[in-house]
Amino acid sequence: MKHVIVFVEQRQGQTRKVTFELASEARRLADALGGKACAVVLGEGASRLAEQLKSYPLDTIYVAEDRDVDTYLLDPSVDYLQLAAQNVGPALILIPNTLSGRDVAGRLMVRLNAGIVADVVDVQVSGDEVVCVSPKLGGALVTSCALRPSEYGIATVRPSAFAAAPGGSGAEVVALEKSAKSYAATIQRDVEEGASELALEEAPVVVAGGRGLGGPEPFETLLTPLARALGGAVGASRAAADAGWVPYNLQIGQTGKTVTPKLYIAVGISGAIQHKVGMRAAGTIVAINKDAAAPIAEFSDLLVVGDAFRIVPELTKLIETAKGHLS
Amino acid sequence: MKIVVTVKLVPDPNAEKRIDAQTKRLIRTGVETVLNPYDEYALEAGLQLKERAGGDSRVTVFSMAPEPLRETLRKALAMGADDAVVLSDPGLEGSDVSATAYAMANALRKLEFDLLIVGGLTDDSSTGAVPGALAEHLGLPCVTNARKADHVDGGLEVERETDGGYQTVRTPLPALLTTALTFGEPRYASLKGIMGAKKKTIATTTLGDLGLELPVGAAGSKTELREFAPPPARGKGQTVEAADGPSGAQAIFAFLQEKKLV
Ligand SMILES: Cc1cc2nc3c(=O)[nH]c(=O)nc-3n(C[C@H](O)[C@H](O)[C@H](O)COP(=O)(O)OP(=O)(O)OC[C@H]3O[C@@H](n4cnc5c(N)ncnc54)[C@H](O)[C@@H]3O)c2cc1C
Ligand SMILES: Nc1ncnc2c1ncn2[C@@H]1O[C@H](COP(=O)(O)O)[C@@H](O)[C@H]1O
Repeated sequence: MKHVIVFVEQRQGQTRKVTFELASEARRLADALGGKACAVVLGEGASRLAEQLKSYPLDTIYVAEDRDVDTYLLDPSVDYLQLAAQNVGPALILIPNTLSGRDVAGRLMVRLNAGIVADVVDVQVSGDEVVCVSPKLGGALVTSCALRPSEYGIATVRPSAFAAAPGGSGAEVVALEKSAKSYAATIQRDVEEGASELALEEAPVVVAGGRGLGGPEPFETLLTPLARALGGAVGASRAAADAGWVPYNLQIGQTGKTVTPKLYIAVGISGAIQHKVGMRAAGTIVAINKDAAAPIAEFSDLLVVGDAFRIVPELTKLIETAKGHLS
Repeated sequence: MKIVVTVKLVPDPNAEKRIDAQTKRLIRTGVETVLNPYDEYALEAGLQLKERAGGDSRVTVFSMAPEPLRETLRKALAMGADDAVVLSDPGLEGSDVSATAYAMANALRKLEFDLLIVGGLTDDSSTGAVPGALAEHLGLPCVTNARKADHVDGGLEVERETDGGYQTVRTPLPALLTTALTFGEPRYASLKGIMGAKKKTIATTTLGDLGLELPVGAAGSKTELREFAPPPARGKGQTVEAADGPSGAQAIFAFLQEKKLV
């Protein structure tokens, strides 16, 4: 491993904050390893996004402005990434730890005969060795795992683990050649839903609701206004997502998203271990729950025992009033 | 239709987990072994697809696990799987994801199937890399995070969860599918199922049967666990009883102000 390659997830030229975090971290790691920092951007809109990425400290940006990436499930992305990795040479590959990032990572691991460490929150380089820090067993342990010296290594990185730091003098953009392969799994329909203005994993404040809200309406009438007042996003427990009150992509926890906002407000959520592992790393945790004995009491900084339906609207009012005074 | 479902045997997710300081492996003694919860969803998907395909369709569960744990698979047989195959060998101990996927793929290659269903994640190690790696080794189309699957034109039409919503994807068979928890709650084993499971076979394969070219176990692994520690503790905070809405809201607001969060 000498160079560093970032896999950029994008859609129509739009990407998430994690891309910029990884592009910044790639520079630091490439310098430590004595190699180049590169990024790979694929699919419709890739060229546009590559221009934007030039304001990050990368050396080379590999681009494939290819519709097939959006038409066939993952296969073209894996091919392009493999090609880019072979062009670059021995490298550490940073992939966002998201649903599609994980899928790409497992396949690339075999293609490149690489080792993999998942859900990485920190990376250290000493000599030619790369050591990754990641929480395991639902956060019950924090492990350091070395990628043994080998040509390629892969780390799937947790969003928000690193800071984004723009800079650099404009990377070179190189087009990747299209493979002649044909692909089997075709995307017939691609639907975005519940896509709030702010991605859940990147929101500085998350207001999450659970079964205690009793239905879909309070997510609209109670949580959304509070989240908006705080400049945050709305999330949910699995109970709420399973009931169909909110789309699955708002689910936080072991089988949903992992979030690390500055402030997490849990409304009508009991705090089951599978929920806890998705939000325990938040800066401050506030819970509103009817039940003083709910498990969330054990790991929230403040638990207010009371009825969410009465408390949340009043809280939203207080915050809005305070903001009004400032502006 | 022949379906194989992979099931990992994991320590009870609700039990407290400890790591042996010497071997750096999970201490399994005294902790009950269960089917990886995600794989129960994969099995549920397999059983539903088998029922819908009808005829002589079968579901085989496959696990790579230490020999003494194999009886745990009776639960999968009681839920409705037709038989089970376990890959067990002391030489597999200490395998990381890449070695595990390599060994599993070679064992799976010996089974005939139209569809391979894999869970989305493991409860104990959670890399989520095994499904993609299996698809590569076996040269199968790979459709992940399925919440719904239907037989269409000799292939499958799958609705899958994505980071931002969902997609409909078509794939020919054979293929590899992973399931999201939204596919449907795993069924309970019926009394009849539990009785019937006693007569079903759990076959064992060993490394000797596979004739692998590359090393597995710790020697075949590309990663090495160095250190582990508990995360910084998060203490219990304060609890405030709210007499009414406004006072509860005021308590939170004051707290947020104190923390400079508003
Ligand atoms: C394999 C597996 C994976 C899982 N993955 C996840 C996951 O990723 N994310 C996740 O969240 N869960 C997950 N779960 C489910 C988890 O175990 C819990 O069942 C779930 O988190 C409970 O959701 P809840 O807190 O909303 O509901 P409940 O546990 O029912 O809690 C509702 C809470 O609301 C309170 N309440 C009720 N009315 C009011 C009111 N008017 N005002 C204030 N409070 C009120 C109640 O006191 C209660 O504490 C998983 C489970 C399994 C088995
Ligand atoms: N030892 C194993 N035996 C059977 N299936 C496994 C094993 N390891 C992983 N899997 C399957 O691969 C999925 C993803 O595992 P992982 O990539 O380790 O998170 C699991 O849900 C299982 O279905």
